[in-house]
Amino acid sequence: MARTAVKFNEKKVHKGKAIFRIFPGLCKGCGLCREKCPEDALSWSEDLGVYGTPTVVADPEKCKACRICEQVCPDCAIAIEKR
Amino acid sequence: MEVLPKIPKSWNLESKPHKFCPGCGHGLVLKALGQVIDELGIQDRVVFGCDIGCSLLAWDFFNVDSVQTHHGRTTPVMVGIKRANPELIVVAYMGDGGGYAIGSQHLVNAATRDDKITVLLVNNTIYAMTGGQMAPTTMPGQKTETTPYGRDVGVAGYPMMGPEMVSAITQEGAYVARGSVARFRKLKQYIKNALQNQMDERGFSFVEALSTCPTNWRTNAEKTWAFLEEQMTDQYPPGEFKTPQGKEG
Repeated sequence: MARTAVKFNEKKVHKGKAIFRIFPGLCKGCGLCREKCPEDALSWSEDLGVYGTPTVVADPEKCKACRICEQVCPDCAIAIEKR
Repeated sequence: MEVLPKIPKSWNLESKPHKFCPGCGHGLVLKALGQVIDELGIQDRVVFGCDIGCSLLAWDFFNVDSVQTHHGRTTPVMVGIKRANPELIVVAYMGDGGGYAIGSQHLVNAATRDDKITVLLVNNTIYAMTGGQMAPTTMPGQKTETTPYGRDVGVAGYPMMGPEMVSAITQEGAYVARGSVARFRKLKQYIKNALQNQMDERGFSFVEALSTCPTNWRTNAEKTWAFLEEQMTDQYPPGEFKTPQGKEG
């Protein structure tokens, strides 16, 4: 994998009980995750993905770490870690 | 410690991000296949064959032995590999153009002969790589490059119902199902059942996966899901069509 693909931005969500990671080197900005999110917690980010399109960022207040976005991402650009 | 993306172990990390368009369903089908290969622990025995069309972009997708063949000829190539070395687990991966149009003779004959292979067919209702022309699976009234006023069934006929046909011509040990990338867990279960069916040497295994093509449907993310979950699922009902006897589906 190109080294750029393993860089990520992370954010604590779900009252600090989970970490939402997005890998901009994998995200193509298709938006499928935003539509599937049951809490409407994802919005477009300032960071650009591999094709120069916006990546997504999770709202820490709304995100419940249900991992649906992780499941529907065709590029595996989202990784949610519960702790 | 270095944090890596949650990618199936059988995926080839060097070739990521993969070559499919943003929002393409191929990534999801291959993610399901990768996770199933990981769970069954068969990475060293799998041979992955891809066809002409968008599916050929998966030629370096997995860290398994891969072969890329001519239009629709993935099925007979995989049959040959399986007959030469029955220890291997073969996956013929193709699109609806490769499987139902030019390669339908091979699909029909392999199903009739009950060859112990797994065919994974991705249905996005158009020929995507050549720019979105009408395919055998284009739905009545659907607009494509070559049917700008919608597919007229009086002129262009009706779409092909793959799993229905395959389940009609296969023997008792066959496994036939249709999944959708909108129901990822179900799709993964179907692919797992299909590979398990091949490993148990029961018979022909066939899974059709309903997929997305935002580039050629000219849809945004919201309309992509709507088209897949409403229109496509109405025309092509997902589910298991045939499960081997003595095994609950």
